Order: sequence, then C-alpha cells, then structure tokens
Amino acid sequence: MIPRSWQSRRTARLLLVVVALALAASACAPGEDGGGDQAGGSVKLGFISPVTGFVAALGTDMRRGWEMYWSQNGGKAGDTTVQTVFEDDTGDPDVALTKARRLVEQEQVQLVAGPILANTAYAVAGYVAGRGLPTVQMTGADDLTQRKFDPLVLRVGYTSSQSNFPAGQWAYEQGHREAVTICPDYAFGWESCGGFVSAFVEAGGKITKQVWHPLGTQDFSTYVSQARQANPDVVFVGSAGGPDAILFYKAWTGFGLKDKIPLIGNCCFADQVFLREVGDEALGLQSFTYWVEGRDSPVVQNFVKAYEQQHKEIPSLYAAGAYMMAQVVAEALKKTGGKIEGKAFIDAARQVSLSDSLYGALTFDDTNNVVGPVYRTQVARREDGTLWSVDEQTFPEVSQFGSEGKEAFLEHPVFSRDYTGQ
Amino acid sequence: MTSVRLVKAAAAAVAVAAVVAAPYVLPSYVVSLLTLGFIAALLAGSVNLLAGQAGLVSLGHAGLAAAGAYGVAWATVQGLPLAAALGVAGALTLAVSVLYALTTMRTSGIVFLMITLALGITVFGLAVKLSSVTGGQNGLTGIRRPEPIGEWWQFYFFTAAVYGVCLLAMAALNRSPFGLTLRGVRESQSRMTSLGYSVRAVKFTAMVVSGGFAGLAGVLLAWNSEFMSPSAVSFPRSALAVVMVIVGGVGTLLGPLVGAGIVVATEYWLSSYVERWPTVLGVALILVVLYAPRGIVGGLEGLAGTLAQRPRRKEES
Repeated sequence: MIPRSWQSRRTARLLLVVVALALAASACAPGEDGGGDQAGGSVKLGFISPVTGFVAALGTDMRRGWEMYWSQNGGKAGDTTVQTVFEDDTGDPDVALTKARRLVEQEQVQLVAGPILANTAYAVAGYVAGRGLPTVQMTGADDLTQRKFDPLVLRVGYTSSQSNFPAGQWAYEQGHREAVTICPDYAFGWESCGGFVSAFVEAGGKITKQVWHPLGTQDFSTYVSQARQANPDVVFVGSAGGPDAILFYKAWTGFGLKDKIPLIGNCCFADQVFLREVGDEALGLQSFTYWVEGRDSPVVQNFVKAYEQQHKEIPSLYAAGAYMMAQVVAEALKKTGGKIEGKAFIDAARQVSLSDSLYGALTFDDTNNVVGPVYRTQVARREDGTLWSVDEQTFPEVSQFGSEGKEAFLEHPVFSRDYTGQ
Repeated sequence: MTSVRLVKAAAAAVAVAAVVAAPYVLPSYVVSLLTLGFIAALLAGSVNLLAGQAGLVSLGHAGLAAAGAYGVAWATVQGLPLAAALGVAGALTLAVSVLYALTTMRTSGIVFLMITLALGITVFGLAVKLSSVTGGQNGLTGIRRPEPIGEWWQFYFFTAAVYGVCLLAMAALNRSPFGLTLRGVRESQSRMTSLGYSVRAVKFTAMVVSGGFAGLAGVLLAWNSEFMSPSAVSFPRSALAVVMVIVGGVGTLLGPLVGAGIVVATEYWLSSYVERWPTVLGVALILVVLYAPRGIVGGLEGLAGTLAQRPRRKEES
C-alpha cells in the first residue's frame, strides 16, 4: 500500500498543476473583433500601447479612447470598415518593435497607431516607416517631427515643449521676472522645461535655478527646499504625472509654499489621477495644457459623458489623445476613399482641419505636427463635486516651433539638460 | 557507445537542417522571433558559462551586452566603417568586462550576485544619463546592419551561424582544462588554492570570456532592432537571462537555448493572445523549479540516463 503521506503529497502536486493550468487559462485576453467585410472596402489598423508593465494605466486609457471613437462611429470611416488589431508593448522598445513586426508582417495591417513612450515610439515609427507604411503617433518626443522628421509619421498631438511656450510667455506678462523650474531628469522633462525656459527667457525673464529630479522620486523635500532657497517669483513644474506629481505637490504644500510662491504646471501635472489623490488642496492650481476635460464645448462634454458612462471615470489625456488619433485617421480615410497608400495617406491626414475637436481648432504644419490651441487651466469643482480642470484663457494656433519659426528653431539642438533655450 | 554517438550526430544533423529550412517555410515574423531566440540564447549562454561551470550567478549580464550594443550603435550612428564599429564594440566590451572581473574576482555566491546586480544597474544608469552619447531614454536611431546581412533572412542565417560557432566554443571550453579548473573553483576554492591555482585569476578570466559572449549578443541585439535604448539593457533583461538558464538547465550546453526559446515564445508570441503572460512565465518557472530542479534539459538528461541504466540493472540482478 502507498504510504499516506506520499499519497497526499502526490495529490497536492496534482492540485498545484491544475491550479497553474487554470490560472494560465483564465489569463486569456478577450478575442479581437472580427470585422466583417462589407461593401465599401475595409482597412486593417494596428494599435500598440502598453497595457502591462509600469505604464499600463496610460496604455489602457489609450485603448479605451481608440475603441470609443470607433464604437461611436459604428467601426466605420465613411463607407470603409475599420478593423483594429491591438498589441501590448509593456513599455519596452524592443517588445514594441517586435509587436510592430508582427502587426506588419503577420497581421498585414496598413497603418500603425501608437505607442506612447518616446523610446517605444521612435523604435516603432522607425521600423514601420522603413517598411513604407504610415504611422500616427501621440507621444511628446520633440524630434519625431523635428530633427528626425519622416514624411510617413504624423503626430496627432503636441510636442513636450509645445504647450509650455505660452506658459513662459504668460508668466513674464504676469510680472514674474525670476523663475525656478522643476522637471524630471530625462528627455520628457528636459523638453517640457525647455519650452517654458526658452519662452520665459526670450520675453526677458531670468531662470535662477533649474531643479532636476530622477523619475520615480519618493521624497521631494530636498528638491522643494532647493526651489524655495532660490526665492523665485514663480515656479514651473513639468511633470510626467503619476506618483511624482502627487508626491511633489504634497512636499510643496507641506513646506507651506502653496499660497507663497505661484506654481504653474504642464500638460500632465494636475491630471485626473493627481486630482483624485490630492483632492481639495489642488483647487485653483494653474496649468498649461491642451486636453481640458471641463472645457465648455459640446465635443468635449459629449466625450466626457460617454466615457464616464462606460468607464466610471473622467477620461485622461491619454484616452483623449487616442480618440483624436482615431478621429484624424477616420477623416483621412474619408478623404482618400478608404485607401491607405504610404505617404499619400499621411499627406491627406495632414490636410485634415478640425474646427472643434477634443483639443479645439486643429490643423497640421508641414512637418506633420499639430498646430492648435493651448489652454491656461485652473482646477475647479464640477456640479457633482468632482474636481476637474476648466479653461481660463486660450492661446490659439501654437506651433511646435514656438514664436521662433521653423528655421531658427531647428538651428539649435533638441532641448536637453545642457540646453533649455537660455 | 557508438549507437549513442550516431543518435547524437543524427539529432545534430536534423537540428541544422531545421535551422536552415526555417526561413523558407516559416513566415518572416516567426523567423524574426527565432533570430531573437538565438540572440537571447547567446546571452543566456554567457550567464550559464559562469553559473554552470564556476557556480557564479550573475544578475548584471545585460550591462555587458550593453557595452557591445552601445559600442556598435554609437559607432554606426557616427558613420564609422564596419570594422571600426566592431572595434569600438569590442574595446568597450573588453573594458566593461575587465571592470566587472576586477570587482567580482574576490567574491562568490550572494556577494557576487549583488555586485553584478549593482554593476548592471550602474551601466543602465550611465546609458540613461549620458544622453549626448547614448541618446538617453529616447535611444539611438539610424543604426543599420551591414549590407551583406541587411535582409531579415540574411540576418537570421548570420545570427544562427554566430550562435552555432559560440555553442561549439562553449562546449570546447567546458571540456578544456580551463573548464575543469572552473568546476574545481565551484566545488572548493580552498582546495584549488592549495593545489596552486590562483582562484582570482581563474574567476577574472572566466568573467572576461563570458563578457565577450555577452558583448557579441549585444552587437547582434543592436543589429536586430536597428535601435538601441536603455531598456534593452535594464535589470529585467539580466534577470530574464538567468530565468532562461534556470528553466533550460544550469550547466547544460543546450539549456540556455531551450530556456531562451520558452521565454521568447512567452514574451513575444503568447503575449499577443494572453495579457498576463508574465504570470504564465512565473508559473512555468515555479513548476520547473519544483519538478525539474536541474532544468528542462537537465531533467531530460537525467531521464535518459535512468532509462539507459535500467536494462543493465536487470542484468546485474
């Protein structure tokens, strides 16, 4: 007879295997929509965003925004049926590249949209454009439509520096003469701060200190005290959002600086994640951004309402950005009659001009980047008590080249820690 | 004995034939995954060289691959010719390997693990911060493979051939007196010292040789993506290389290849259908550690050994 202990150990092992298999099976992703081919032709698009990994929240919002546009429009652009194949890049450029390969070579998509992180976007855009296929992007990385411009790449969004030019200009007009900037120490932060600094200095202001903190900083007190010691008229914070923004603001209010030194945020500082966590302390906070969930426009409010109904939260910049990508792709498809043929498609997309969109009145410049409004926003309370941002002032037709003009702007290197336009 | 050799030779012939036939029968995307698999297997093999022979588990080998990858990437972007680019990659790999070797040659076990981990993170930090050279987080674009291996299938054959040569080199190394010395260091450092060996010199050499293989994997990686960014050399890459070795079988010649195959298939193929692929990989790792502590290849070898021995036992009894 088999010893009892051995028998139970065997059962336990069997149980473990069964549990493991069940886990693996339950992890299956929902199936893709099988877009039916009907009259009017169809196109197959690839969509890459990080839905796992350290930026999963952004990628999930993007996917929701993209899906919302197509479900609102019956999965069609004019007569053309649109089918999307989704891929997850985990926030890693090599994974993103391999997924782009799968989309292009195996799924034979005709266009790739996304991803979001600058390095993944560079990797994907480089490969897809190399295959002669168009991509649409929403990442902020400046050079994608500047020094590394490719006619097959269209950015339906703003560069990291673009929305901060008006911030620098406005700060000077408010009578501020000395400013301190606080940005994360990598490309997005350098470019965000670069936008503010170049415009503020050009207007006649002086930057007395630039504070750079590592991405994912836990304790901001040293950085906040550095900023306080410089005793500036105004502080600009160019945050990538998430925990960094929240922890910075907690240190800022903890030091009692909230009503002492004026603070200006960038696009991604006082977003919904931030507002949910910080609460009433955030009321009155000013930012310069292009996605304003509380803007009084039917386009924006219909989107917010539909999105809230489905996902129980106010849409983020990333949901709005992906929705915008879908809209521009759809408008371009209507122009080309459902054909996606490399550069011709991007040229058609560049001609798209929207009198009002989630971002406002929108056109594209000749290096495939958005020319559109930037809003000065303030955190306010909605009727139901939820915090959101409302626009206070509009700066129309802001270009990625600021006030300098294309040639002069491209003369200097891309914004970095060593060069922020001073 | 001869029949075993015959079987081995036949298996090798079938394997080579399958590798050669792959691009003609498989779609290009699958072939690009195979290419990635060979590159990952080469990096895992370099980890296995230290872990399997000398018992030194490194958690920082992505940093060594980074030296080769950034060397060739930077030089190519600067417009240097191929030979010079490879020279830069080689020199940088050698420099970083020597640095690794000097800092770790006095250590073993957990201390070795921690120091290699720290070194790997240091290299990652440099890759992020030295943005004027490495392009920072945005990475380096505009890397192109040399003309003769420009096409995907050409690069596949090239990678497979490089891996094959490296595999033979590693096998020769394992059998060489130096391989024996390494195993001696693993078993007992004090005994090796009393036999007159300099344990430090042995560990130093082993790290530099392993670094050479890792650097070569890095060059192939940069050529494969034609793009280089810090996340290709981040800690998870080092950790995955160790996972490949453990899953495949520590100390076995083909273990890293099998492990790399499983990890690459999970990360790139399964992830298109299963959102929580890291869970699947984790469960697989747990199952292997529980039921085949010597890895898949190690377990199979053990099984084959038992089967071969059974008839003999009968004869004896």
